[in-house]
Amino acid sequence: MDGFAFPKGVASFETSRQIRFMTAGSVDDGKSTLIGRLLLDAGALMRDQAADLEGDEADLAALTDGLEAERAQGITIDVAYRYFSTPDASFIIADAPGHEQYTRNMVTAASVSDVAVIVIDAAGVSSGALKPQTRRHAAIAALMGLDVIVAVNKMDTFGWSQQRFDEVRSAFDDVAGTLELRDVRYVPVSAKNGDNVVSVGGASWWTGPSLLDLIEKSRAMAASSFGPLRLPIQSMLRDGPRRYYAGRVESGVLRPGDKVVVGWQAHPATIAQVRVGGRGVASAQAGVSVAVELAEERDVARGDVIATPGVSYVRSVVADLCWLDETAWRKGRRYILRQGTLETPALIEAVNFVRVIEDLSERDADGLALNDIGSVRVTTQDAILADLYTDVPGAGAFVLFDPQTHQTCAAGMIREGLT
Amino acid sequence: MRLALKLDDRALMSAEALRAPSPLVTTARLDRLESEAVYILRDLTVFARPVLLFSGGKDSAVLLHLALKAFAPQKPAFKLLHVDTGHNFPEVIAYRDACARETGLTLIVRSVEDSIRRGSVQLPSINATRNTAQTVTLREAQQEFEFDALVGGARRDEEKARAKERVFSHRDAFGGWRPRAQRPELWGLFNRHIGAGEHMRVFPLSNWTEADVWAYIVREHIELPSLYYAHHRNVVRRNGLLFPVTELTPASAGDEIGNVSVRFRTVGDVTCTCPVESVAADARQVLAETLSAEVSERGATRMDDRASAAAMERRKVEGYF
Repeated sequence: MDGFAFPKGVASFETSRQIRFMTAGSVDDGKSTLIGRLLLDAGALMRDQAADLEGDEADLAALTDGLEAERAQGITIDVAYRYFSTPDASFIIADAPGHEQYTRNMVTAASVSDVAVIVIDAAGVSSGALKPQTRRHAAIAALMGLDVIVAVNKMDTFGWSQQRFDEVRSAFDDVAGTLELRDVRYVPVSAKNGDNVVSVGGASWWTGPSLLDLIEKSRAMAASSFGPLRLPIQSMLRDGPRRYYAGRVESGVLRPGDKVVVGWQAHPATIAQVRVGGRGVASAQAGVSVAVELAEERDVARGDVIATPGVSYVRSVVADLCWLDETAWRKGRRYILRQGTLETPALIEAVNFVRVIEDLSERDADGLALNDIGSVRVTTQDAILADLYTDVPGAGAFVLFDPQTHQTCAAGMIREGLT
Repeated sequence: MRLALKLDDRALMSAEALRAPSPLVTTARLDRLESEAVYILRDLTVFARPVLLFSGGKDSAVLLHLALKAFAPQKPAFKLLHVDTGHNFPEVIAYRDACARETGLTLIVRSVEDSIRRGSVQLPSINATRNTAQTVTLREAQQEFEFDALVGGARRDEEKARAKERVFSHRDAFGGWRPRAQRPELWGLFNRHIGAGEHMRVFPLSNWTEADVWAYIVREHIELPSLYYAHHRNVVRRNGLLFPVTELTPASAGDEIGNVSVRFRTVGDVTCTCPVESVAADARQVLAETLSAEVSERGATRMDDRASAAAMERRKVEGYF
């Protein structure tokens, strides 16, 4: 149709970046209000969704509390996902709850996020120290390797005192130093009034960036192409006599002609062809679902990994394990470990220590219960990749399932491979 | 009508994304979403009897297209299932059948009508909406064929309760969803384990928005029923919604019938699906309208969701898709 008016942003929509971030904050620090504000000011709310907001004191938090029970209790009890976009980027929010006993939800949200936004009430620092919950959130972000953006909230109630902002900032800096957080950015905001959330305002001494600016500029860390090749195989596809192995590149880049090794036996092979959606391509980077043909005849099964030569496999690792199940770990119980596309029986041989989550210091323990994060030694029946989580997040992560209840029991991050 | 893969350059991962020098990270939204959906679909190969819920609507059309890409050149090992309310738009049924024919996938149709005849569904009146009744028929079909994985095109952006649903969402032996007992889902390392009589609902489009779906339809040249594009139709205005005048939903005495250029944003049960005013004649124009829309997809078009914000959650607990 001639004369159809295309609004700004349609042309760039397809190729604009997608950023996935999580939000965390202590109870009452105003996290849900901040998310509501982000959605509202970024223009992501539709008229019918905004209709729940009445009067001047809009209950922005009501926008994100999904389930009926939560609305009644006034707390968020699970991870909820929200979507919005600007002309430059689109965003997925994984909203993790602030309530103390739900560490597991924060770990879950962190595992699917590129960056963490931690909300701190400007009043939430006393004698230079952060609330225990805020320290927990920072610790989990550190453990999971996320960059952090700190939104210092309710600045309006402190008359936008720069001194107050600096106090919070320095308290968080202390914690970040202890935790070895890699990259921390700060922004003073008022979620209630909307200052510095999407547009800059409130304080004369803060000329930007806004929270949304910081999120937009964050590095997307998921699926890194800089690491060694790791292609866990999901299934085999046939095209006449030719066989293609299908999976998603978790790390590295894949090109025809690449020398690779297949499985833990490390059989050498050569990539003959790389296909995406049934068509040959010149290369595929981390995050892309591909199907590859090998030049040599190799026996490749679901769970095997096609990798850069030099990859190492082990049957025993040291890992940080976050226990997610209401049923505590029982010594001697067998679990199913999933790493990439491999599932194999696994045993937690020993709990070395449990981390005190506020500062990640070590405390003696011989058990693991819901929300504990412990350092453990895990042995597996089949050999698994010895990749460290910090080096190759896509391969250094694993989960444990209970073979009887089928629950997801634990999230693990490999810290050391044992021989 | 052509839905099968068009293996030309446009159907590929966008070439720019693959050639991008630095940073070498998959961030372009459609590429990231497509790769994720393909990964999820391929993760289904552990199930013995997976089925793809296919209504002929745009989300299920995108899902089918992704399934064809995921397993190309093989056919996906899924059957197609349509839970038929009997209140359909004929164009959608014709499209549904054509898709099944072209892809060569087996189409199973189970109808709410049969559930009514069996007595497992009882409706308050003959013309009452059959949208919620689908739940019963779906459960019956799941049990009849012992499907262990039901793959659907539901998206988290549609509604608050959906926003908390897992990608691999476990259902107990009664087909019910227990929001408080959901399994944590980390790093895409999905938990696919189920017990006897239980099944999994799988949502590869979880992270897509309505705009993403339309952008993908544009990029991949996916054909849709003509109802999705602007056409003139007799409608009645009530409570800010446009009600289509059809055999099943005739105008009442005193209604003022207008002939308006409209399109449908969803194409469900005729008795509870409203079109919106539109002049968008193709997918690209629909995308443009979607990006500037002021009312959410379900809010604009679904009478059944308007009752309360908790309506969807309650239906899901009972086993609604």
